[in-house]
Amino acid sequence: MPFTLEQPKTVREALQRLADPTGGPSVPIAGGTDLLLDLDEGRVASTRVVSLRRLPWNTMRWESDRLVVGSTLPLARLGTDPAVRRRLPGLVDAVDAVGSLALRHRATLGGNLGRAAPASDVVPVLLALGATVRLVALSGHRDVPVGQFVRASRQTDLAPGELIESISVPAAPVSSYVWQRVRPANDVSQVGVAVARSDSPSGWHVALGGVLPAPMRVVEAEAMLTQPNPSEAEVEVAAQAAARRASFVTDKRATESYRRRLVSTLVRRAIARALRDEASR
Amino acid sequence: MTRSDAALKSRGGAVYGLDLETDGMLFGALVPAPVASGVLRSVDLTAARRAPGVVVAVGPDELAALLPNGGNAERPVFPKSRILYRHQPVAAVAATSLAEARAAARLVRVDVTNEPAFIDIEDRYPEWPSKLASNDPHVVAHVVARHGDLAAAFRTADLVHSETYRTSGIAHVALEPHACLAVVADGTWKVTTSTQTPFGVREDAAEILGIPQESLVVEGTWVGGGFGSKGAAFLEPYALLLAAASGRPVRLAFGYREEFLTGRSTLPSVIRLDTSVKNGTITGRRVRLLLDSGASLPGRDFATGYSIGFLLGPYKIPAFEMEGYAIRTNKPPFGPHRAPFAPQCVFAIDSHMDGLSRRLGVDPVEFRLRHVWREGDRTALYQPVGPFGAAAGLERAHAKVAEWRRNLPAGTGIGVGIGFWSTSTGAGGEVRLHLTANELVIEQAEHEIGSGSVVRGLVAVAERYFGLPTDRIRVVSTSTATAPFDSGVFGSRTVAALGRAVEAAGAKLLETLGARASMVGTPRLDVDGRRLVLVSGRTKTPVAELLKPKEREGGLVTEGRHYGRSGAIDATRAVEGTFYPYTDFTASVHVAAVSVDRETGSVKVLRYAAFQDIGTVLDAGMFRGQVEGGVAMGLGTALTEETLWGPDGRLGNPGLLDYRIPTIAEMPPVEVVAIEGFLGAGPFGAKGLGEPPIIPVPAAVANAVADATGARVVELPLTPERVARALKLL
Repeated sequence: MPFTLEQPKTVREALQRLADPTGGPSVPIAGGTDLLLDLDEGRVASTRVVSLRRLPWNTMRWESDRLVVGSTLPLARLGTDPAVRRRLPGLVDAVDAVGSLALRHRATLGGNLGRAAPASDVVPVLLALGATVRLVALSGHRDVPVGQFVRASRQTDLAPGELIESISVPAAPVSSYVWQRVRPANDVSQVGVAVARSDSPSGWHVALGGVLPAPMRVVEAEAMLTQPNPSEAEVEVAAQAAARRASFVTDKRATESYRRRLVSTLVRRAIARALRDEASR
Repeated sequence: MTRSDAALKSRGGAVYGLDLETDGMLFGALVPAPVASGVLRSVDLTAARRAPGVVVAVGPDELAALLPNGGNAERPVFPKSRILYRHQPVAAVAATSLAEARAAARLVRVDVTNEPAFIDIEDRYPEWPSKLASNDPHVVAHVVARHGDLAAAFRTADLVHSETYRTSGIAHVALEPHACLAVVADGTWKVTTSTQTPFGVREDAAEILGIPQESLVVEGTWVGGGFGSKGAAFLEPYALLLAAASGRPVRLAFGYREEFLTGRSTLPSVIRLDTSVKNGTITGRRVRLLLDSGASLPGRDFATGYSIGFLLGPYKIPAFEMEGYAIRTNKPPFGPHRAPFAPQCVFAIDSHMDGLSRRLGVDPVEFRLRHVWREGDRTALYQPVGPFGAAAGLERAHAKVAEWRRNLPAGTGIGVGIGFWSTSTGAGGEVRLHLTANELVIEQAEHEIGSGSVVRGLVAVAERYFGLPTDRIRVVSTSTATAPFDSGVFGSRTVAALGRAVEAAGAKLLETLGARASMVGTPRLDVDGRRLVLVSGRTKTPVAELLKPKEREGGLVTEGRHYGRSGAIDATRAVEGTFYPYTDFTASVHVAAVSVDRETGSVKVLRYAAFQDIGTVLDAGMFRGQVEGGVAMGLGTALTEETLWGPDGRLGNPGLLDYRIPTIAEMPPVEVVAIEGFLGAGPFGAKGLGEPPIIPVPAAVANAVADATGARVVELPLTPERVARALKLL
């Protein structure tokens, strides 16, 4: 469907334009790698597209032990940053799993989160890492944990007149993300599993993607992982708990039973990968 | 490798169908049927006609006024009553912009009943193989062949190996969608189109429109990939109709989504094989094929009779019985896809041979060597087998398997598949040569579809034939109004058949020049500075001196033709239905090495080797490229590609997000080896190469997976989930 493109230069102007109903319904666009498909096929009925690409959000900085990523930073920048690779290997795993390299130069972290695709490779790792989202409106800012921000498939906590300004991610040198797909390169994951070990207390976070209604933490599995270096038996119990807990569906990409089978395998692999990364440092 | 189109294409200078433009041009859009099955009550064009920019809108009711006798009643441009598949075009509009045309198409009100669609062939025929009544309205083709005493073979067998194989639908995914530009003026209908068969489109479009072939001119463009999708007429009749209705040029092109939704792709099948063995030798085979033919019209199914022969070869089977059904469903009509249906048949047959040999405890390659055709053998339908490199390829494959067993890590699965193909040299063609003082021009009807068969293949033949360098030979493609007839770029025939036509025209050329120069014996051409010269012994005559005054401009012109023999089928064996004779057999023996993730079912192809029976290699670079391309495409059929049809006839994955073609990341290193010397019917003994390299890929990969895991996957593609099921993970 045809639309007009608006390119505000300031955050205030962008927020005003999105709030202004003149000219029909509007939608913000960052990289557009997901939104444009929906616009093209009429699934999103906006006639005005407000680009965020000129806003000062193409940024990345460390604030002590937290990485703050501007919402329009291309994913490729995260994948190639040495400090991010060292301190947030799970985030790099997830970013590297998104589309192709060409697409990652276009796609953004804020866009991936804001579009809230159920098969997102990025959302599970943000959940496992305990990331928070900073939202901005004309009335001010608010910070929301990713787990509360993503509500369901394609549904977020973003209120009308709000935009994602940045995402804040605490460092987790022991973290990883693994996935399963029909085709390894440039495909949508059937199931994704992210794990991260936080330092205090030495607890593990386990999150799943490819589940409904949205990527989720599985606290039942996390409760089984009591050690920084869990035993094989512990991991197995946690993996089974994750498989039991999650709600899967059968769709064109996989059956419910295959997804459930994959989860326990991927939980084991994700933990092993995170610990192997630690051992190699 | 020298390709005359390389520079043009890399600079973006090649004009493809989508690039066609002319003054006053309108843009067309088709109106798709909103259901897969139903009865059309009315098509209301009122709102569309009032929409901005719309010049004309045509539906079923307008055909009578626009076409002589209303067009072809049996193959109407738009359906008169029954809707056969979802997205079947029921009307068309032309407007001054594409956006306007598409918007107007959405305003057409299609009143149609919604009846239950017949989509999955196994819904109706679950007890399979079943006795399908020959008067079943869903059976559009029924073929039967038999020979020998199969009952006795099964009764006395040591072992009967039985298995059922299933294959999924696959799409072509040519980079360029279908596109054409039509003009109708002064009683002449002209369409410029991205096609593999200009003359085929002329015949087909004229038949559909009900106009004489002579009043229709078809001109090709550069084709951005065909793979069989651009054979018969498709968009051309609609574009011509819109041009006739509007009196203006009309460009009609598919978007990528429409290409998936409306395209004529390969559809699912079920193949049942039972093979009897006595003393380690095959004594009999029963073959049952159930092929989803989509909305094919009766009599227009070609795939069943053509492909079922692939289920009886390339092995010697003393007694057999085979029966194939083409079943009509509410999907777009089945269309040919590179080596139509052969990769699927070979997946079944060579999975079967591999499984059987493992049950017998015989090396799979040795078991095939026991049974594979050699020159002098006869096919199941008693056609003679000529020079055929299968056994030679198998010997090489045997050595490759042994090498990889030594060198690759434990747990690697190695599998072999044999494809065979019949180069369709029986489909004839003609060329016209123009020899000027400085160059040789090959004029013919075909446009390059990407494989290089036209721009490079025909030049390579002329180079060898005349001994001229590449830069003195040029291929030009002209329209059906001027070019000599040719059957089309399909069936791996282009170089084999048109190349022979180049030789035939060349012989006349040399004969004429030799006579003019009063030379004894057959002279040859050579280059002397800028000039071409005719050489015989020590005599050298500039071509310029041998041209008559009227030939100075356009050159000396000769024409050559090649209409090969297509062979005969033993009618006592081919009992019912239409079979197609094969000629000029080509073997492709492939070896795949894979690793299988035993927890997820993911398959990774680690190494690949292709031994290709080719007769004579005419261009080493093109040869290698064509085989690598076939392997890449075949890996898609083997591992990831399938069209997902919902019960309501909706295609669930009409785009590249969920229709997964291989990427470079999945491509293994491919060793490409030519098996030369088993000469074919093409120029210098060359055999066709368009299709053969895709054929054995699914079989080789499936056999490698079975080798790695002991589990056989009997359904294409081998997605991780299907492999996981075979591994009993769920």
